[in-house]
Amino acid sequence: MAEMHTEGGAGGDFDLSQFYQIFFEEAGENLDQMEHMLLNLNLETADDEELNGIFRCAHSVKGGAATFGFADVAELTHQMESLLDRLRRHELQPNAAMVDVLLESADTSRGLLARHQSGGEGVAPPTADLVRRISVLAAGGGPAPTPVAAAVAPVVAAAPLPAPPKPAARPDGVRGLQISIGPLDRPEQADAIQELFRDIPGLGSIKAAVSDRSGVRVFDVDTTSSDEDLLDLFAFHVAREKVAILEQSTDHVEPPVVQSGGIDQIGFGFFDGSPGAPQTPSTTEVVATPVMEPALIIPKATPGKVASAAAASQPEAATIRVAISKVDQLINLVGELVITQAMLAQNSRALDPAVYQQLLTGLADLDRNTRDLQESVMSIRMIPMSIVFSRFPRMLRDLAGKLGKKVDFVTQGEATELDKGLVEKITDPLTHLVRNSCDHGVEMPADRIAAGKSETGTITLSASHQGGSIVIEVRDDGRGLSRPKILAKARERGLDVSDQMSDAEVWQLIFAPGFSTAAVVTDVSGRGVGMDVVKRNIAALNGTVEIDSAEGYGMKVSVRLPLTLAIMDGMSVGVGDEVYILPLSSVVESFQVKADAVSTVGQGSQLVKVRDEYMPVIELEKVFQIPRFDFERSSDIMVVVEAEGIRVALLVDELLGQQQVVVKNLESNYRKVPNVSGATILGDGKVALILDTGALVRRSRH
Amino acid sequence: MPLILAVDDSPSMRKMVSFTLTGAGYQVVEAVDGQDAYEKAQAQSFDLVLTDQNMPRLDGLGLTRKLREHPQFKTVPILMLTTESSDLMKQAGRAAGATGWLVKPFDPARLLDVIKKVIR
Repeated sequence: MAEMHTEGGAGGDFDLSQFYQIFFEEAGENLDQMEHMLLNLNLETADDEELNGIFRCAHSVKGGAATFGFADVAELTHQMESLLDRLRRHELQPNAAMVDVLLESADTSRGLLARHQSGGEGVAPPTADLVRRISVLAAGGGPAPTPVAAAVAPVVAAAPLPAPPKPAARPDGVRGLQISIGPLDRPEQADAIQELFRDIPGLGSIKAAVSDRSGVRVFDVDTTSSDEDLLDLFAFHVAREKVAILEQSTDHVEPPVVQSGGIDQIGFGFFDGSPGAPQTPSTTEVVATPVMEPALIIPKATPGKVASAAAASQPEAATIRVAISKVDQLINLVGELVITQAMLAQNSRALDPAVYQQLLTGLADLDRNTRDLQESVMSIRMIPMSIVFSRFPRMLRDLAGKLGKKVDFVTQGEATELDKGLVEKITDPLTHLVRNSCDHGVEMPADRIAAGKSETGTITLSASHQGGSIVIEVRDDGRGLSRPKILAKARERGLDVSDQMSDAEVWQLIFAPGFSTAAVVTDVSGRGVGMDVVKRNIAALNGTVEIDSAEGYGMKVSVRLPLTLAIMDGMSVGVGDEVYILPLSSVVESFQVKADAVSTVGQGSQLVKVRDEYMPVIELEKVFQIPRFDFERSSDIMVVVEAEGIRVALLVDELLGQQQVVVKNLESNYRKVPNVSGATILGDGKVALILDTGALVRRSRH
Repeated sequence: MPLILAVDDSPSMRKMVSFTLTGAGYQVVEAVDGQDAYEKAQAQSFDLVLTDQNMPRLDGLGLTRKLREHPQFKTVPILMLTTESSDLMKQAGRAAGATGWLVKPFDPARLLDVIKKVIR
């Protein structure tokens, strides 16, 4: 679809800042994509398509940054582009040092952009070292950044991006030189010095000239630098004795290579006689000169090479970008609609179907449509797990490198969708699990070989939908958990364990606070604080964690989460005149209790005995100080809930039923209330609080 | 009102060009790469084509060459927006049939100046 714009505007003079936001998002996407492609780049078999794709990312960021005036970003990405340009032309072979420096540069560019986005607050990340390293690599130098190279690429605040203007008459101090390099076996080596002039502002201008000897390249150079400085610079690319510098006569004027109706300095021009070119260009812009030298009219490089037509099909994504606040607003409104619908349904129950048949049919339709609408709207917030997964390849690469391990990372089910709110909250626990797998799971290459495994370990991250939940698994083929070690450690810490415990029960022990069997505490996964935090964070999302492991073969951690936080299956219970909602996932059982089943122990705490197990009793009436007018009545129903592996019995008056509730955040609408995780609106319009079972369980411990 | 086809794979550049041109009273159709532009050019004719050089699927030179094969685009001005202002680039642009070039980055006023010279 063509987008048409017909509205009038302010004319040519306007503020570019209105495009900044689009540019920041676009640049972020380009940098992410570049990182992704760099990580997937196979150094030996890199093909044109991949290299062109990476190049284009840097190229786009540079173009935008230069246009919108972010000189620091433009300069750094310009350097990246130069290196990538040589890679895609196969003038250089990609190597790990290049990937490293490009990844670092992408990070730094993000930092620079973030700083611009926040209005220039904070200290800009330094770029000088990166610029220098890239230019050394781009010039074909080794990865070792020696201080000598400092002279090659001085730090520049804002590189002039179009090639520096070439004045026809040289200003004071500028010398016209003819530099011949060679003979060389590979004359294209000499072309690297052209890059130097492009990369070092102020060095001067360079232009290839015709050479009459094979293997020799000749350049016409205008510069203020001394011969000695130039030779030092060139020494990076070609041996000093191969370079000959000749002073040109001062009246020598280069014939322009392309006859053009415009002057390069002003950044545009027309090809004379080309279709649509102005026929009578104004005199100020014309430098009418005769035909250029034939040798240069037909360049050796075919236009096809310059163009390097990218066959990569990059279909236009059929998506639109919408502010998250709009989506949340929509979800809120649908939530209200669901409540209104529930209210209507409840009020209509008393109606006589014979009399109100049409109304009731309409209400049934409304019920179905509301649910469909709710489902569709919720799906807007669903984003693919690839958003989370994509951060791990880089992290693992760095981590494995640091630990001296070899790790392959495999992801499965990246397209599995999850609520955006959950995605944000699950990222940290998953990061922890993946780090653990790399740090504690996968062995050192030598140990793996000794154990008869392949040198490279594999960490697999997978996501899948199972019923109304999403299951995310982190698997590794490392050393696995050691049952004897965990039991020994548990005894050492005074935990109640026995050799008869099932494997599943033993593995659960590692979720105990401060539990670690790692022989060496590394700076990577911390010192054993972690698994308990992971479990608590996941429990806070109404999720569960399970571990499966076999010593010597690896370990699997499965995280099961509800698909969304906005809707929850709840059990409503009544206490006095109040209604509370318990998350159904935490409810274990409920039963009527006789007064003599509850025993009181020290400090007034109460315990109830359920099938030979004593558990603490929490009277909701007392927790929430519910006024009671019917003094004869007392709570006699126990609802057993489990959180963080501990069970408690809640004493309530009655069970009202199970229902889906739309969760409303209490903190953002009112304030944090102890023991309450949120609120919902019931069918009759009343507000009911959703109980935080985790908090209630913790309360019972004290 | 002159109709301009603006081709760039970068949304921010596209928006800026489009905003500049509409503000000056031109009508603009945007295309996200050369292939998209080529398809749009099949459907309607334009008074001017402004194209980026480096784009996925079909680049600016390729687009220029393909457009010039069509009779209705034989004389339409095609301006290349490019970060490369090398002679080689200009040779390639000329050979492909481009009308002229404008070096990126440019400011909006410059763009309008250049367009005024070729649109009649």
